[in-house]
Amino acid sequence: MEKLFEVKDLRFKYRKSAIEAVRGISFSVQKGEVFGLLGPSGAGKSTTQKILTRLFKDYEGSIVYKGKDLHEYGNEYFETIGVGFELPVHFSKLTAAENMAFFKMLYQRNADVDALLKQVGLYEDKDRPVGEYSKGMKMRLNFVRAMLNDPKVLFLDEVTNGLDPKNARIIKDMIKAFKEAGGTVFLSTHLMNDVEELCDRVAFIKDGEIVETSTPRALKLKYGRRELAVEYYENSGTERKVFNLDEIGNDETFLSLIQEKTIETMHSGETSLDEIFIKVTGEKQ
Amino acid sequence: MMDNFLKLLKGEFTRLIKYNIIQISFGVTLIWLAVIYLIGKEQAGAFIPTIVFVDTALMTMIWIGASLFYEKQENTLKTLMVTPSGFGAILASKLVTAVYVALQSALLIAIFAAILFDVVVKFVPLVFFVIVITLVHTAIGFVFSIYSRDFNGLIAGVGLYMLLFAFPTIFYALGVLGDAAEWIFLFSPTHVSFIMINFSFGETVDAWMLVVGTMYLFALIVIMFKWIIVPKYALSSVRD
Repeated sequence: MEKLFEVKDLRFKYRKSAIEAVRGISFSVQKGEVFGLLGPSGAGKSTTQKILTRLFKDYEGSIVYKGKDLHEYGNEYFETIGVGFELPVHFSKLTAAENMAFFKMLYQRNADVDALLKQVGLYEDKDRPVGEYSKGMKMRLNFVRAMLNDPKVLFLDEVTNGLDPKNARIIKDMIKAFKEAGGTVFLSTHLMNDVEELCDRVAFIKDGEIVETSTPRALKLKYGRRELAVEYYENSGTERKVFNLDEIGNDETFLSLIQEKTIETMHSGETSLDEIFIKVTGEKQ
Repeated sequence: MMDNFLKLLKGEFTRLIKYNIIQISFGVTLIWLAVIYLIGKEQAGAFIPTIVFVDTALMTMIWIGASLFYEKQENTLKTLMVTPSGFGAILASKLVTAVYVALQSALLIAIFAAILFDVVVKFVPLVFFVIVITLVHTAIGFVFSIYSRDFNGLIAGVGLYMLLFAFPTIFYALGVLGDAAEWIFLFSPTHVSFIMINFSFGETVDAWMLVVGTMYLFALIVIMFKWIIVPKYALSSVRD
């Protein structure tokens, strides 16, 4: 796969801060993948995204986008990217339609705004001032804003934050469709459900440093236990036994158990991304 | 660049209208006109330059402060900065709208005074100086906005500025302070602005004072934009 972003030894420090917010991180993002940058609040996720979207330019290290240093790009860079911020970013006294019309005219390429508004369920409310919207509606409008210029790369920061399950599903389906169409997504989040469903690869960031990079599946295998827990019916109740996966084919107890008992549940020792998050970052969400 | 500047300008005007900033500014101008009418012909000549000065210099800081405060509160600069517009064009659109608001008010007052009370108005210098004065006070408004945590902080900053720079000038204009103190005020951008406005309404002012004053205000504009506003305004707006 073609590397879209190659980040090497990236460092960034806020002016008034004594310590670096990002401390020498390196990673790459492949074209057409959903790359997740995961970590607790204040770990450096949003700062990294702001550097990649050129809101912060005084960084150290190198970022290569499509084979060219990010510093060498002019404003044409913004024609290719869409940015979904963590917080609402709209003129509250303008309607959703007016907001989108204003931002849309700043780009050469445009998406079909009405179609996007229909997809996220805001079309009927497009003529209401955004100030009257709920947080969930504003976040959906944030996503439409990010898609306005029909981008090739989407940067999404806590994209489903404040959304109910139904609307989170709509946004996640749209991200999947974007990827299917060849788009690349850089997702910053601490919501592991989103990661599990969307990300091809993830990097965990803690205190400005990347502590783990892999695919969600490989992480689950790495941090999971190679065991199978079986619950079965016996003596008018539920019994539970745990077997080692490596020897399970030759385990007589296991084999007789599945032949002779009524099995209620079987669970492998695969761990969840939530647990991996806690293990890797040392923090509860 | 130019194309996007014009689009940003259109958007900025739409925003200022939707947020009632232009309407309120126009309302304040109407109040000034009523005040001038009530003052009457005898006193109008003395008061009009002070009114135009207050409107151009001090109200400009408040308008731009209110505009930037909304922008900070709603995170809209952040999303503008990830468009192909360019920060220079974004800043320029704000400056042009600020100048428009100030010019609209100054010209309405000047035309009203000239027609109603035969007040002497040099329109070309008035337009030029209002532009310069608005730019310098817009820049000051930007600086206050950068260093203020909220709108109250911004208003406190403007209040402090008025205490230090504007009130001495107003007291001087009203004769409370003597001529001997004027040279000190020449370091005040507000006092220099006041001299320019007075000249535009027919007062005799030394040419060197106008030339040096214009250069001084331009230097302040450049210093504030180059070393404070351009490097810090965007950063202060994109930080969460």
